[in-house]
Amino acid sequence: MSELRRDPITGRWVIVDTDNPTRPHEYEIEPPVWRPGTCPFCYGNENLTPPEIAVYRDPNTAPNTPGWQVRAVSNKFPALQIEGELDRRGLGMYDLSNGIGAHEVVVETPYHNKDLSDLTNAEVEDILRMLCQRSLDLAKDQRFKYIMIFKNFGPSAGASMEHPHTQMIALPMVPKNVKEELLGAEEYFDYRERCIFCDVIRQEISEKERIITDNKYFLAFCPYASRFPFEIWIMPKKHNSCFMHLNNEEIPFLAVVLKDIIARLKKVFDTPAYNFIIHTAPLDSNGHTDSYHWHLEFMPKLTRVAGFEWGTGFYVVPTPPEIAAKFLKEVKIE
Amino acid sequence: MAELRKDPIIGRWVIIATERAKRPDQFGSHSEDTMPEKPCPFCEGRESQTPPEIFAVRPKPSPANQPGWDVRVVPSVTPFLKIEGDLDRRGKGLYDLTNGIGAHEIVVETNQHIANMADLGEEQLTKVITSYINRIVDLEKDERFKYVLIFKNYGLSAGGGRVRHARSQLIATPVNPKRVKEELVGARQYYEYHERCIFCDLIKQEIEQQDRLILDMDGFIVIAPFASRFPFEMWVLPKKHSCDFVKLDMAQRAGLARTLKKCLLKLKKGLNDPPYNYILHTAPFRREKTGYWKSIDNDYHWHIEITPRLTRVAGFEWGTGFYICPVPPENAAKFLREVDAG
Repeated sequence: MSELRRDPITGRWVIVDTDNPTRPHEYEIEPPVWRPGTCPFCYGNENLTPPEIAVYRDPNTAPNTPGWQVRAVSNKFPALQIEGELDRRGLGMYDLSNGIGAHEVVVETPYHNKDLSDLTNAEVEDILRMLCQRSLDLAKDQRFKYIMIFKNFGPSAGASMEHPHTQMIALPMVPKNVKEELLGAEEYFDYRERCIFCDVIRQEISEKERIITDNKYFLAFCPYASRFPFEIWIMPKKHNSCFMHLNNEEIPFLAVVLKDIIARLKKVFDTPAYNFIIHTAPLDSNGHTDSYHWHLEFMPKLTRVAGFEWGTGFYVVPTPPEIAAKFLKEVKIE
Repeated sequence: MAELRKDPIIGRWVIIATERAKRPDQFGSHSEDTMPEKPCPFCEGRESQTPPEIFAVRPKPSPANQPGWDVRVVPSVTPFLKIEGDLDRRGKGLYDLTNGIGAHEIVVETNQHIANMADLGEEQLTKVITSYINRIVDLEKDERFKYVLIFKNYGLSAGGGRVRHARSQLIATPVNPKRVKEELVGARQYYEYHERCIFCDLIKQEIEQQDRLILDMDGFIVIAPFASRFPFEMWVLPKKHSCDFVKLDMAQRAGLARTLKKCLLKLKKGLNDPPYNYILHTAPFRREKTGYWKSIDNDYHWHIEITPRLTRVAGFEWGTGFYICPVPPENAAKFLREVDAG
């Protein structure tokens, strides 16, 4: 019989098919199809993007020319715009606000075809450093309440550009799912005076069966109430509510874990599309610091999610996380 | 500039792209739905290819699992949840689980090999609605269940699979799904303060403002919701307040059938037969136990949410519940109003 499992943080129920778990080779991976054209993220095409906001580049090279390693630019087609005053208002029973926000793209590497797992540790560390640096800068803007960092890799994960990049959106409000997570964590903390994520880490380490890899500062595991097959969460072992406060000692360890899980996924599947999202505390996080714990949620795109899942928040997971973790753990990577 | 809009019931924010708004013809074709079809087990005469029927509408008395039916309900061959066994809720450290008890049924909407519900006759649709009601009423008797979800996946990218025979699915769950709970809680909170149903207020405002109204007929309205998550999203709402779908009388069932047919036809004609999902949102089983509240008859309002699958949902939407909708609902409503659906 299958199992219904509840995520302890948000209270979301999922159906886990423990009866007939789907094996990795049973998933159909869609081959990526990209629109042809000049890539604006490659060397020499810097003029095709808005001017760079922040960059790591070779000394003696001019802005917006080749010679960079990581490059942050505004999204050319932003979902939200940076200019203007925030204007929240009502319309009868409805609430709305003008679309103020920031939408940036961090181009991870000059190499068009290198995913994170193909880069050197130092290169991935630079990307993480850039994400923190941009977050710290955007956090100064009083209009923003939340910074969302996410990556879409592959067209079926929603990426429109093939060249590896991560996106950042600064929002004038805290999104609903984040709020729920914060609230769930806060309720747990109020009663126990312990962080629920720290407790999750403790339980995962003692049960072992969902762990893929870990090192001094980070743990990667398939969450107990996964929504998607082969979903992976990376959590800092040391309590910290904000991603942007990641310190220099931890960054190399995060780079290693991130590269490691992507390399494993690519071995188990044939380069699946994926998304990851960094879950971090809102910018005015006073009071959330003890109860909330930043983490990265990584979701390979192996199944089509039907309307049922969207409409109900009730997910069906064809591969139990224990089995997914086992596959990922046992696969040999260089 | 884009607009950020908040769903008044559950508080979800969406980004509505007002400037880079996409036109209907910019979503491309749905070519993946031309993949080869699998042999259909749902057509009349192939009754032995499904598990034995649970319920059927038969115009003249005829034996079960034989031809002569108009609508047929059978258990799913690949059920998410299983009907046999006792419910066993337990904890595992800080985690909660229960065994996968539930019902998973398929409502075969026609004995003909017709793919889209939009192409069924109004009378046929009325029989489908009656079958839904019949099944919900029957499953309510099972004390293990809290909720019945009725939904439809049409087309490959909506999760419809490779058999193109019109059908809906029904899942009875031993827990209230999260999204349902949020809606119920949102509606109750509004009622506690205003002593009015939030959906009734919404219907009033939509009829007054007109710009998101797609249809207003036979006791139902169809709107493009103010905080649409998806382009051309539609909600079908009964104008007369009722929290419970199963309370529909025969005249209302016929009215819903006509409305549903018309809006699904508009979708089919206007957007080149796109994949879509729909989900029935109705009140949970009201047992006087845990989770029961007395105002639910007044504060909740059943409805159907229809979401065409025209865009891919990216990581951003997944992780945050924060959707980017490339078509303002006002534009979507105007476009759909003007599509001639007979």
